[in-house]
Amino acid sequence: MSYHYNEAFENPDYHFSETLEIDRRGSSQRNPFSHQTPYDSSLHDSYGEHRGREQNYPVAIPVVSMGPAPDYSQDLPSTSQYGYFTDNLSFEPEPELIYTPHPTFHLLDYPYTREISSASEDNFIRRRNRRPPVETFMSISSMFEGDPEDSEEEDLVGSLAHMSAKERIKAIQKKPKTMRKKREIRNKVLKEISKKSRHHGAQPSCCTQCLQGAAVSFRRFGNTLSEYFDQLRIWHKTLKIIGAEFGTSVLSYFVFLKWLLNFNIFSFLINFGFITIPQFLAAEPNNLSFTGLELFTGAGYFQQTVLYYGFYTNATINKIENGPSYNMQLAYIFTVGIYFVICFLILLFSMMIFFFRSFVPKTFSVNASNLFCIWDFNITNERAVKLKQKNLHTQIKEGLTDVNKEVLNYSITERLRRTAIHLIAWLASLGTAVAACTGVYFLSVNNLKLFMEGYRNDLEGQAAMLVLPVIVSLLNTLIPFFFSWLGHLEKFQTPGWHIYVTIIRNTILKMSIVGILCYYWLNVVATSESQCWETLVGQDIYRLVLVDFIFCLLGSFFGEFLRRIIGTTVCIRLGPPEFDIGRNILNLIYAQTLTWIGILFSPLLPGIQTIAFFIVFFVKKVSLMRNCQPPRKVWRTTQMMTSFILLLFCPSFLGVVCVIGVTVWRSKPSEECGPFRGLSSMYAAVDEWIQILDSYTAYRWVVWIYHNLIKSVLFFFTLSTFVLQEEIRCFYSRSYRHTKGQNEAHLRWEEDASREAPLHTSHPGNLPRRCQTTQEGNLTETKTQPTMSIPFLLRSRAAVTFYQLWSLAVGIGHGPGVCTEDGDSAGPETQAATVGPLEQGPFANKSPLPFSPVRLSSNSRGHRT
Amino acid sequence: MGNKQTIFTQEQLDAYQDCTFFTRKEILRLFYRYRDLAPQLVPLDYSDKPAVTLPYELIGSMPELKDNPFRQRIAEVFSEHGDGNMTLDDFLDMFSVLSEMAPRDLKAYYAFKIYDFNNDDYICKSDLEKTVNKLTRNELTPEEVSLVCEKVIYEADVDNDGKLSLADFQHMIVRAPDFLR
Repeated sequence: MSYHYNEAFENPDYHFSETLEIDRRGSSQRNPFSHQTPYDSSLHDSYGEHRGREQNYPVAIPVVSMGPAPDYSQDLPSTSQYGYFTDNLSFEPEPELIYTPHPTFHLLDYPYTREISSASEDNFIRRRNRRPPVETFMSISSMFEGDPEDSEEEDLVGSLAHMSAKERIKAIQKKPKTMRKKREIRNKVLKEISKKSRHHGAQPSCCTQCLQGAAVSFRRFGNTLSEYFDQLRIWHKTLKIIGAEFGTSVLSYFVFLKWLLNFNIFSFLINFGFITIPQFLAAEPNNLSFTGLELFTGAGYFQQTVLYYGFYTNATINKIENGPSYNMQLAYIFTVGIYFVICFLILLFSMMIFFFRSFVPKTFSVNASNLFCIWDFNITNERAVKLKQKNLHTQIKEGLTDVNKEVLNYSITERLRRTAIHLIAWLASLGTAVAACTGVYFLSVNNLKLFMEGYRNDLEGQAAMLVLPVIVSLLNTLIPFFFSWLGHLEKFQTPGWHIYVTIIRNTILKMSIVGILCYYWLNVVATSESQCWETLVGQDIYRLVLVDFIFCLLGSFFGEFLRRIIGTTVCIRLGPPEFDIGRNILNLIYAQTLTWIGILFSPLLPGIQTIAFFIVFFVKKVSLMRNCQPPRKVWRTTQMMTSFILLLFCPSFLGVVCVIGVTVWRSKPSEECGPFRGLSSMYAAVDEWIQILDSYTAYRWVVWIYHNLIKSVLFFFTLSTFVLQEEIRCFYSRSYRHTKGQNEAHLRWEEDASREAPLHTSHPGNLPRRCQTTQEGNLTETKTQPTMSIPFLLRSRAAVTFYQLWSLAVGIGHGPGVCTEDGDSAGPETQAATVGPLEQGPFANKSPLPFSPVRLSSNSRGHRT
Repeated sequence: MGNKQTIFTQEQLDAYQDCTFFTRKEILRLFYRYRDLAPQLVPLDYSDKPAVTLPYELIGSMPELKDNPFRQRIAEVFSEHGDGNMTLDDFLDMFSVLSEMAPRDLKAYYAFKIYDFNNDDYICKSDLEKTVNKLTRNELTPEEVSLVCEKVIYEADVDNDGKLSLADFQHMIVRAPDFLR
C-alpha cells in the first residue's frame, strides 16, 4: 500500500487547512450548538423545562453531551490531532495522516438541497413572514437570520416537524451528515414538535402525556419486534460470508437459490393446506408394503399416499352431518390454477423490478461507471482482493487495447471462415440436442412397454425405473461439457458472447429434453392402458427430481472436490476450481421446471424440492468454501439476476403453463383414480359446478361473472393489453430517462429547482422528501417532454411490433380450427385459447364442452374466487 | 441483554436508532466491535458520553476494512475531522452508510467523497489516477493510467469543466446497476 499525497502537498489548502479550521470552527455556523453561545444555553434551558414537564419524552439527550465534549472543537487546533488518545502511545501515526486533516463535511453538507438552496433561502424568508408566531419559535429564538446554511437547517427542521414519525426518521437517517449533526436536527425537530403540541393543547394535560408515553413505548416495542424478525432472516450471515469471500457474482447464485427455496416453501404450503389436509380426512387405508427402495423409485408404497394425484378422492368431504362440505375436484383445480396465477404475477413483478434496476443503455459511459462501480466493497478476503485487483488490471488493459485497436477488421475469407465455424458449431449443438431428445423419447417409450407388460416389484424392475432419469441426468451433465468445448473452438471475440451462447445452447438442450418428456407423458402415457397415468407421470417426475438432486451432489463432489485435489496436488498449474455459476444456475432452473410440471401430478413435489434445495444450499456452500477460488471473470451482477429470472420465466414457466393447460383442457383423466375420474377433462369439473350454481338464484352473480368475464375473450384481451401497456409505459419512462439524461442533466437540475420552488412555499412539509429524491423525482417529472432519440424510437417500435404480434396471436384464437400448437410463441393465454377447439381425441364427442372453447383462457381458473 | 442499560441510556439508544439504519441490538453489537478494537480506551459505560476517539490504525485493522484498498479514504471520510480517527458516533455512521439498508443516493454521495481524494468537491484527474492505482495495485504504467482517466472524464463530465462534480457523479452512478454496495 502506498498513498501518494503529492497533490496534497502542492495544494495550498492543505497547508492552511488547520488554520482554516480554526477560523471555521471559531465562527462555526454549521455546529451552532457545539459551543457556548447565548442562544445555545437559552435553548438548553428552555429545553430543560420541557424535560421537566414531560418526563416521558425521548428527546432527553442534551445535544452536545453525547458527542465530543462541548469545548472539543475549540480545543482541537491547539492540541495535536492525536490529542485525545495520546495515552495510547503504541500507535505510531502514519506520516501521511499529517497532510489530511481537512474537514470532510463542509461545503457539501447539503448535496440534495444544494440545487434548490437559493430558492429555498428565498422561500424561507417569505414563509417565515407568513407563519404565525407560534411556528417561528425556532427561527426567532436561534436568531440565525441571513445565514443561508442555518436558515436552510431551520427550514429543514420546520418541515421535518410536519412529517409523520416514520417519515421523519427516514429523512434523518438519509441525511449525509455526521452523527452529531443528525442528532442535533433530530433533537430540534422533536423539540419543535413538543412545543407545538403544547401550544395546541394549551396545558400539558395528563392525557397528552399518556399518549406520548404510549407512542414512545409503542415505538420501542416495534423496534424490539423488528429485531426478532431480523433474526428470522435465515442464512443472512452465511450469505454475507459468501459475499465477502467470493464477491457478489457467486453470491447471486445463492440468493437465487434462496429465492427458489422460499418460492417452493410457499407452493408447498398452498398445496398442503388446500389439497392434502382435506385428503387426510378422507384417506383410505394403505395396504402396500414399504421396503425403503421406494424412496428412490417413488413407486410401490407411495402410489397409495397423498404424494400422487391418483390417491386423491373425487368425493365431497363432509365430516359433519349437514355441515360445510369440501369438494375435492374444485379444490384441486382451483388450488393449482390460483397457484400458477400467483406464480405468474410474482415472476412478472420480480422480473420488472430486476429489469428496472439493471437496465443500462450500452453506450453510456462504460469506462467511467466501470471504474467507479467495479470495486466490490463486499469482499474482505485478502486473496480475493488481490485477485480482483489483478483482474481489474488486465481488464483495464484490455479495454485500452480495444480503444487503440477500435474494430478488428477481418478479411472476407477470414470472416467467411468464422461464420462457417459458428454455423457448424450451432448445427453440432442443435444436432446433439435433437439426438439427445430422440434417445430419451425412444428410451421412455420402451420403458413404458416394460411397465405395461407386467408390473414387477423386484429389484430388477425398480432398477429399470431408474434408467430413464439417470440417462436424462447424464445427458444434462455431460453435453454441457461438449458445448463449452465447442465454444472454445469458436474463439469468440468477447468472453461475454462466449458465456451467452453457451448458456443459450444449454437452455435449448435442457428445455427440449423436458419438452420431449412432456410430449411423451401427454401423448403416450396418457393414452396408454395404464390404470392411472397421472400417477405414472408423477412417479416419473419424482424420479427425475431425485436423480437430478443426486447428480447435483455428485457434481459438487467430482466437479469441485476432486477437481481441487487434482488441481492442488497432481496438476498444480490448474489450481483450485472456480464456481461455475452458469451451469449451476441452469441446473436450478431445470429442477424448478420439473417441480412446476409435477405440481398437478404430485402435489407435494414442492415439499420434496424444498428439502432438496435446502441440502443443495448447504452442500454447495461447504463445497464452495472448501474447494473453490473466487471467480476470475468480472460479472455484471445485477444483470445476472435479471437474466436468471428471465430464463426462469420465459422458457421454463411459460412452457410449464402450456403443458398444464393442455393437461387440464385436453387430456382425459384416468377412469379409476384421482379427483377427476369419470370426467371428460379436468376442466369439466368447473363447468359442472357452474351448472349446479346456475340453479341457485343466490349464486347467479358467480355464474354471471363466469360467463361475462372469465369466458369472455374481450376481458382477457383488455387485461393483457393493460398489462402490456403498463410494461411498455414503464419501459418508456425508463428508456426515456436514459436517453434524455446525459446532455440536459444540468439544465434540468436547475430548471427543476426553480420549478419546485413554489411547491415549497405552499407545502413546507414537502421540502425534505423532495430534497432526498431529487434525482429520481425530477427525472420522472420531466418525462412527458417530447424528446425522442433514435435508440428510444427503435425500442418503442420493437415494443409496438411485439404488441401487434400479440394481438394477432390472440386474434387467431377466434378462427375455428386454427391450430397453433406452439403456444410458446404467443404466451400462455393464447395457447390455452387455441387448445379448446382442437378437442378431437377419442373423448371429444363424449361430453362436448357446453361453451365455445375458444373463449377459454388458462387464467380463467384464477379469477373465480 | 441485561447490561445494555449500563452502556447507553434508553434515550441514547433511541437517538442512535433514529440516526442510523440499525436496530438496538445491532447498535450494541457495533459498540462491542468498537470496544474490542481498544478495550483499554473505550469504557463500558457510555451514558456519560466520554470523548473517546480511536486512531485510524485501529479502525483500518478491522477485517471489514483491512483488505480494502480504499480503507484509509473511508476512514477519513467518515471521521468527523477528516483525519481517519473515529469516535463511536463516526463509527456507527460509517457502518450505517455502508450497510445494505442505506439508500443508493446516500451511498453515491459518500462514494463521491471517498473518490474525491483531495477534498476539493470535484473528482479531478489526480483523484482518478489515485483511484485507478488503488484498484490495480500500481501495476499500470503512468501513460495507461492517464489514458484511462481521460476517457472516464470525457465520458462522465457533463458540464465540460474537466472534472467530475457531485452532480456528474450521481448522474452516472444512479444509473449504473452495479453500484449497489
